[in-house]
Amino acid sequence: MKIFVRDTIAITGKELRQLRRDPVSLLLTIMFPILLIGTFIVIVSAFRATTHNVPVVVADLDGSPASNALLNQITQSRFVHVTQLVQTEDQAYQEVANGQVIGAIVIPPGFGVALASGDAFVIVSTDNSKLTSSQFVSEAVNEGAQEIVTQATQEGGVSFGLKLAPIEVVTRPVSGRPPTGDPILPGFLGLIAILGGFDDIVNAISRERERGTFPRLSLSPVSLLAVYSGKLFASVVLTILRTALMLIIFRLYGLVIRGSLVLIFLTTILIAVFTLSLGLTISSRIRGSATLTVLEIAMTFPLFSLAGTFSSPLLLAPGGMAIAHSLPWTYGNDALRRLIYLGSGFSAIAGDLAILLISSLMLMPIAILLSKRTM
Amino acid sequence: MSIAGFLNDSIAVAGNEFRVFRRNRSAVLISLVVLPLFFTASLGAGRGGAGYTYSPTANIPIAWVDNDNSLASFRLWQSLATSPDFHNLIQGYTEKGALAQLGTKRIYAVIVVPKGFENDLENGNQARLILYTDDSEPGLSDQVQSTLTTYTQNFDVNVQVQPYLTQLQRQTIAGVAIVKKGAIFAGFNLGLTTVLAIVQIFAVFYEIAGGISREREEGTYARLLVSPISTGSIMLGKTLFDIILSVIRTFTILGISVYAYRARPNTDILTLLMLSLIIALVTMGIGFVVGALKMGQRAIVIIEFFMILFLFAFSGEFIDSNLLVGVSQTISYLLPFTYAFDALKRTILLGRPVFSLTFDLEYMIGSIVLTYAMAFVLLHFSRERLIA
Repeated sequence: MKIFVRDTIAITGKELRQLRRDPVSLLLTIMFPILLIGTFIVIVSAFRATTHNVPVVVADLDGSPASNALLNQITQSRFVHVTQLVQTEDQAYQEVANGQVIGAIVIPPGFGVALASGDAFVIVSTDNSKLTSSQFVSEAVNEGAQEIVTQATQEGGVSFGLKLAPIEVVTRPVSGRPPTGDPILPGFLGLIAILGGFDDIVNAISRERERGTFPRLSLSPVSLLAVYSGKLFASVVLTILRTALMLIIFRLYGLVIRGSLVLIFLTTILIAVFTLSLGLTISSRIRGSATLTVLEIAMTFPLFSLAGTFSSPLLLAPGGMAIAHSLPWTYGNDALRRLIYLGSGFSAIAGDLAILLISSLMLMPIAILLSKRTM
Repeated sequence: MSIAGFLNDSIAVAGNEFRVFRRNRSAVLISLVVLPLFFTASLGAGRGGAGYTYSPTANIPIAWVDNDNSLASFRLWQSLATSPDFHNLIQGYTEKGALAQLGTKRIYAVIVVPKGFENDLENGNQARLILYTDDSEPGLSDQVQSTLTTYTQNFDVNVQVQPYLTQLQRQTIAGVAIVKKGAIFAGFNLGLTTVLAIVQIFAVFYEIAGGISREREEGTYARLLVSPISTGSIMLGKTLFDIILSVIRTFTILGISVYAYRARPNTDILTLLMLSLIIALVTMGIGFVVGALKMGQRAIVIIEFFMILFLFAFSGEFIDSNLLVGVSQTISYLLPFTYAFDALKRTILLGRPVFSLTFDLEYMIGSIVLTYAMAFVLLHFSRERLIA
């Protein structure tokens, strides 16, 4: 046992020394988290912008005080920028069809009269290939209508025919956090653990095979189990470093981490260990390190949507949800979110961790067996 | 050299590429099977096929806590429970008990009807519903809130059975209905634009840049350079080889999208093929430039990963490029892939004729010419250095 531990430590040390001497791999280990967070910041800053200035044209075919009031609200909207007031409905649609603007808002004739009877409508034509922008156009009209109601209620102004919605829904997130774009950050931490795990297996096995050093290692007096556990521990050390780096970035970004740091590290380690097991299994069939990396990266991208990185698996179509629930990574991401946002304890995430652990324990022996056969 | 000789050499290079490719089973599998199949299938499963609609909130366990116990609150519960959006409303919780369960995965939201709910409605005041959500599930809070709001906006306390909400009623805010116009496209058509572009970029870049790098590492690239074959023929030969692979990939993706996920592109197959090949050519140009920089295979793969990440952020695929701010928007407008995604969306989703997208096409073709010219110069110099 003592020899096994000593050999394991020796292999772990060798792996880490090797990484230190390989600037490309070292850069990759550090750059993954930074680049992922960079991507996140670009996306979130676009959503958080105070104004969006989505270009629209407006056709006010009514010309009544009510339509003027709505037009004023749309003009002042933070979502859209009215580039032109057009005279006809067709002109407005043509501007969208030509790609000059993303939306056309048409206030039909009789809007003011219809408003009094509660039958008013506004036509919004959008370039739906611009998914987010077209939603902002509808949002601008919604806000405009609601703003007229609010002003009328508060100031006793002209209410036209508009009325308050009968019921207001007040949302209170259980974590007490303000609703922001942050919900995807724990998923990014999970993704870093997955990508890191894949990368470690490429470094640990495939590249050694390519260099011809793996047979030498297996012929040395070190037991094969010690070789694999040494490589596993090296990956665990790297996962701890990557997780620490990510948590530092989260803190700098202003994210409050509520749960136990130990449990967060434990979760990322288990995610990485499962990924290593899978990577080891795949590497027994695909020998080239570059090909293996390509395959692993290709496998990682669909996980953005299927493993709960960007959105909850509960919101997926039934087929997608079934796939999500069969992926151990989904449980890892889920545990990270609960730890970071809700401050859940061990009992709340024990099931998730157990799934990750059992999956790894089932896959690892198969992976080692396959790896030995192809040695 | 005559044109016939130039073409002969190019075809010879393409033939050689095919032979090498055929002998590498992993490359064949990844390039032609795994990438198209994996991306298309996973995206299709996540979003659901075209023509198939589902309510994201329908099966989410939500606790219903009625502190008012009035006719109004009962009617609201009835209208939600019989709707297609809330199949899993659970009664019997106290407010405290329900909140204690939130975050444990037993329930994901709690709707609380406060005392005085009916009184407010009867007196013409705005009543309130409190919605507690498990916000550790990304996107769930917004989804439940917007779906619930749709029903509360149209709730009439005097009606015993609330009518089924039409699409127009769902879009009515403060008494103003919003009639939406514009192309409505089948669910997986959008997925098709993503998969077609991403798979081509992913595979083509590795085949060109990674191929050159692999040949360099194996030592065969130097032999190719010192052979009488011109740099142009080598580039054309590799391009021809990858065009054929790109055609196969395009048809694989289209086949899965149309037959498995019932995508219905609003354009013809030739337009799709043409755009797919233009995207492949833009990527090949970039691949040749990177390949000429004498990087190792591993570095190429890393660049590829970052390139795809970069595209997610800046190319308008994830977020419309007009919504990006500052330098991000400038980067987005400089990227040829922004125009590629735009062209794919306008043709597949909106049915615009491809030749009406003149600026998109001009920009992409300009990028192909520029990158090929750069790569030619770089490869030519490296060849001269090698021969000298």
